[in-house]
Parts: sequence; C-alpha cells; structure tokens
Amino acid sequence: MEAFNNLMFGFGIALEPMNIAYVFGGVFAGTIIGMLPGLGPISALALMIPVTFAMEPSSGLILMAGVYYGAIFGGSSSSILLNAPGVAGTVATSFDGYPMAKQGMAGKALAIAAYASFIGGTISIVFLMMVAPLLSRVAVAFGPTEYFALMVLGLTAVVSLSDKSLVKGLIAAVVGVMISIIGIDLQTGTVRFAFGTTHLLDGIDFLVVALGIFALAEVFYILLRGGGGKEQPRNAIGSLKLTRKEAGEIAGPIGRSSVLGFFTGVLPGAGATIGSFLGYSMEKRIAKDGDTFGKGNIKGVAAPEAANNAACTGSFVPLLTLGVPGSGTTAVLLGALLVMGITPGPAMLADRPDVFWGVIASMYIGNIMLLVLNLPLIPYIAKILEMPRPLLLSLILIFCMVGVYGMSFSVIDLLFLLGFGLLGLGMRLFGFPAAPLILALILGDIMEESMRRALQISGGDWMVFIDKPISMWLLIIASLSLILPVVKPLLQKLRARG
Amino acid sequence: MMKQLNVNQILALIIALFSIAYLVVAFQIPTFPLPRPIDSDLFPKVLGFTLLGLAGLLFLEKPKTQDIPDTPGPEALAQPLLLRPWSRVVITSLAIAAYALLMVPVGFVVASTVLAFGLAWYYGYRRHGVNLATSIGVVLALYLTMTRIMDVYLPTGILPI
Repeated sequence: MEAFNNLMFGFGIALEPMNIAYVFGGVFAGTIIGMLPGLGPISALALMIPVTFAMEPSSGLILMAGVYYGAIFGGSSSSILLNAPGVAGTVATSFDGYPMAKQGMAGKALAIAAYASFIGGTISIVFLMMVAPLLSRVAVAFGPTEYFALMVLGLTAVVSLSDKSLVKGLIAAVVGVMISIIGIDLQTGTVRFAFGTTHLLDGIDFLVVALGIFALAEVFYILLRGGGGKEQPRNAIGSLKLTRKEAGEIAGPIGRSSVLGFFTGVLPGAGATIGSFLGYSMEKRIAKDGDTFGKGNIKGVAAPEAANNAACTGSFVPLLTLGVPGSGTTAVLLGALLVMGITPGPAMLADRPDVFWGVIASMYIGNIMLLVLNLPLIPYIAKILEMPRPLLLSLILIFCMVGVYGMSFSVIDLLFLLGFGLLGLGMRLFGFPAAPLILALILGDIMEESMRRALQISGGDWMVFIDKPISMWLLIIASLSLILPVVKPLLQKLRARG
Repeated sequence: MMKQLNVNQILALIIALFSIAYLVVAFQIPTFPLPRPIDSDLFPKVLGFTLLGLAGLLFLEKPKTQDIPDTPGPEALAQPLLLRPWSRVVITSLAIAAYALLMVPVGFVVASTVLAFGLAWYYGYRRHGVNLATSIGVVLALYLTMTRIMDVYLPTGILPI
C-alpha cells in the first residue's frame, strides 16, 4: 500500500504538464539521436546535461529518463534497418533484426522491438517499485569478486551463443579486452600500449570500435559482395501487424527476458548490454527452433529488446538507492544529479521523495510515449531502407564519421575507425564473431579493476574467486557455458555410434 | 613434405605472432614503485598468453566452409579493375583516409558532401541531381543539428558558416 501511495505521489509530479512535455521531448529526441549510428544514450544524456541546468531536479531527471528510453529504442531501429547498432545494448537486436529486415520483415521487427521494449520496460518498472529495497541489498552484497565472475559469465555467454567457432569467439573476446586496457591504468598511473602517443593515453573509445566493426565493416562487406554497384531489389518493409501465433511465440521470451534484464540491470556494471546478450542467449538455448536464431527469428528480436529496456530500468535501482551507477549511461545521470545538487543514496528516498517517485512514475509515462510515438513512425523510420543502396552506403559512412568526430574531435579517431572497419571485414570473412569483441571491450577495464580489487583484498590469493559462493557459482555456470557446446556434439556422436 | 596450411592455420600463425609481439610489450610495462598483489602488467600478460594458447587451438581446428572467403566469380573479374569488389573496398578506404586528413582544412560540410556524392557516384548511382541534393541536404542537416542545437563543434574550413 505504501508503494502505491508513493507511486501516486510520483504520478502527481510526473503528470504536471511541463513534466509530460519533458518526457515527450526526451523520448522523441532520444529516439532520433539513438537512431544515428554512433550517437547513443551516453552522448544524448551528456548533451542534455546543460539543458537541465535551469530545471527542477525532478523535471531534469524526468527528461533524462525519457532520453535514455528513447535512445535505446532508436538504437534498435538502426540495428534492425542498417545492422549498425549505435548503442551497445542493441547489438544483440541486430542478430535477428537485420536478417528479418533483409527478408522484407523490417516493419514486423521494428514493431516487435517496440512492443518488447514497452512490455520489458513496464514489467521492470513494477519490479523496481515493488522490490527496489530488497534488490539493492542483493546488489550491495556484490563485491569485486562477484563482479569479476559476473563479467566472465557475461563474456562466456556471448562467446557460447555464437554459432561460429568457440575458439574464434574467445580470440575475439581476448582482443576486445586487449583494446579496452590501452591507455593509462587508473589504479597505478602506468601507461600501457600507448606506444608513446598522447592520443592513446585515454584509450580507444567504444564508439570508434563499434562503428568500425559493425557499420563500416557492413559497408565494406556489401561492397565486396557487389551490392554497391547495382540497384539492389528493395526489401519490403512488410506489415507491422503480428499474427496471434507470433504474439504467442514472443510472449514467453518477452516475459522471461524482462525479468532477467531487470535483475541484470540492477547489478552495477552489468546494464543493458549484458542483459540483452543474456536474454538472447537464454532464449536461443531454450527455444525449440534455436538453430534459426541469427537468421531472422522473431524471438531473437523480442528477447534482447525486452531485456535491454528492463535492464535500463533496473540500472536505476543502484543509482537511485545506492548512488552507484549500473552502467556507463547511468554514470552520466549520476553526474547530472550531482550537478543539480542531489546526492543519490539511501537518504534520497527520505530527503527527496519527489525526485525518486517522480522518476519512477515518469518511466511509466515514458514507456507509453515510446509506444505511442514509435509505432506510428515505424513506416517512416523504415523508409531509410528504400533509399538507393549506393546513396545509403555513402550516407552511412558520413553518419559514422560524424558520430566519431563529434565525440572526440580527433582526426586520428577517424583513421582508427577505418582500421576497425577493415578488421571487422576480416573477422566477418574468416568467421570471427564480432559481438564478443565489442562486449569484451566494454567490460574489459571493469573486469580488470574488479579482479585486481578482489586480489588486493585477498592479499593476492586467487582462491578468493572460488571461496565466495556467488562468485563460485557464476564461474561454474561460465565454465559450463563454454564446455557444453564442445561436449554436446561429442555426446551426440557417441550416441549415434551406439 | 610439408602439407599446405589451411586458412585457420595461417590465421593461427598470424595471431600467434601478434600475441608474441603483445607479450614483448607487456613484459616492458614498468612495475609500480610500491609492492602490490597484482600490478599493471599481470592482466596484459595473462591476455597475451591466453591469446597464444587460443592461436594454438585454432591451428588444430579444422576450418568450416563459412570460414573460407569466396573467391571472386568470373563476373566480378570481368569488370574494369577499379570497379572490382576488392577495388571498391580499397578505394573507399583511401577516400575515408583522405577525408580524415582533409576535413579540418576544407571543412566538414564541403569534405562530407564531396565524400557522400563521390562515393555514391562511384558505387554506381547515376541520378546526379538527386545524389547532390541528398548529399548536401543530409550533410547540412547534420551540420546544423550538431553545431546549432547540440553545440558540438565541427570544422567550418573554407566555408564562412
């Protein structure tokens, strides 16, 4: 009852006309920005901080929440239509979303993304409201040892879900971690792998690698397959409507992935990216038609979309109740809160209930706006596919350039982008999955930091990862996720031989 | 006689060489003055040795059909050299490199319009009017959104805007 009363109090704040306008503006701006490959929620939120200076803290945070949801959904659109996820959290969506678009079902994929995002967001908001205090206690129990084990599980899950070679997936993951640790080691100040250049001191940004490995490599691949020279037969957008059978098929994955996504989002450091990959991985494993994942299976779009939106909501739990950001994006939100003079933490619920419950209520409204705004816009969003292929390819290149240059103002990063584009092409040609590399890149430095902190606490004793039960179980599951794909075919062969 | 190496074995050798080079650099990472359970060099060393081990496993792995790139068909080889698939990748790469080097002196609008128009033309789009209008329109829209709304600086170069 108390939660209900608090929510009503929050709705009183979120339904103020100005705050509704902020949610609407935030969702709209977020969708447009998120659609542009390279401009994800982090850039969108960072750019919005100056806009919120003059606002009431609750209004500012409400606007930011809208931008966050919108950008994640916008990122799904570019993942599905162009195979160019500007946001790490929507990489998994492209695995089946893009093949669906190529089969003329872009409209359906976008509609599934919109429904799954809406339901995932809504379910997770209910969870957030009901169990936030309990979950925050679970998250508090996670120390560096458990974080490290969780990251390892996230990575192995991604490697094992790839239908490509397990060894190649692991190689891609190791290379991703290698890229992530370039630059100054924040714990000791030691410079690693910068080769004497000042440009590499801050490392290589995720965006440069992601746009190179995905978007630019996609352009190169199309050119190599001869797609640039001739007019390609245009993919039909197809109907937005789902049949009753299709709705039934995606209901389970959406429900399961929403819950999984929410819990993943709550854990600091995990966030939408791991949530979406875990959601995808889980559905691929339990689906009867798991072999069609990656070839345009509707469940492969629904699961990561529900999970990433649910994880976005989940990541607000540690941010609002503990003051610990659950992802890079919520770290920007934390910065915004501090600028507004609010220090999130356990005292926030008591000191600023207007902010806490106002944001939760605005999430409901933001989700409804997202559905109302995006579903009617889908045919227009999908028009991008109808552009002549040569024109589209050249414009994707420009979007990539703007995304990278607008973030770093560095010409060298444009050359890095080219390098990663060629690397992505090579990986694609020789059967190396790109997803483990990108996830490892995002997690790599956090993984190292967690590992080192855990070992520092234990005085260098590696058994610490086995001694703690949560960490031990996470590592056992991680090992199984690698061993099972190897053992399963062997067992099948043995059975076949009788 | 030594058998011919397959694709995975060639890749494994390249990755092994890379991991050895990586390890050489990792072993040169200076140690932190105060003793610590683990220093900045441990994680890179673990990564280097892991990659080396994985290269060994890749060497032993039989390549699947999807791991071997298709060779260009006779249709592709019949095209003029500059229009062959690999030429398109090389020329696009050179165009991006030239764009990166010229964007600051020439300016974002001019450099991006030339790149977008030029590449679309090179890829075979022959409606030049539409191409030019789209390239200028999209580039200008991006430029104005970034500079006027988002306050992100993009080089003006030779244009006074």
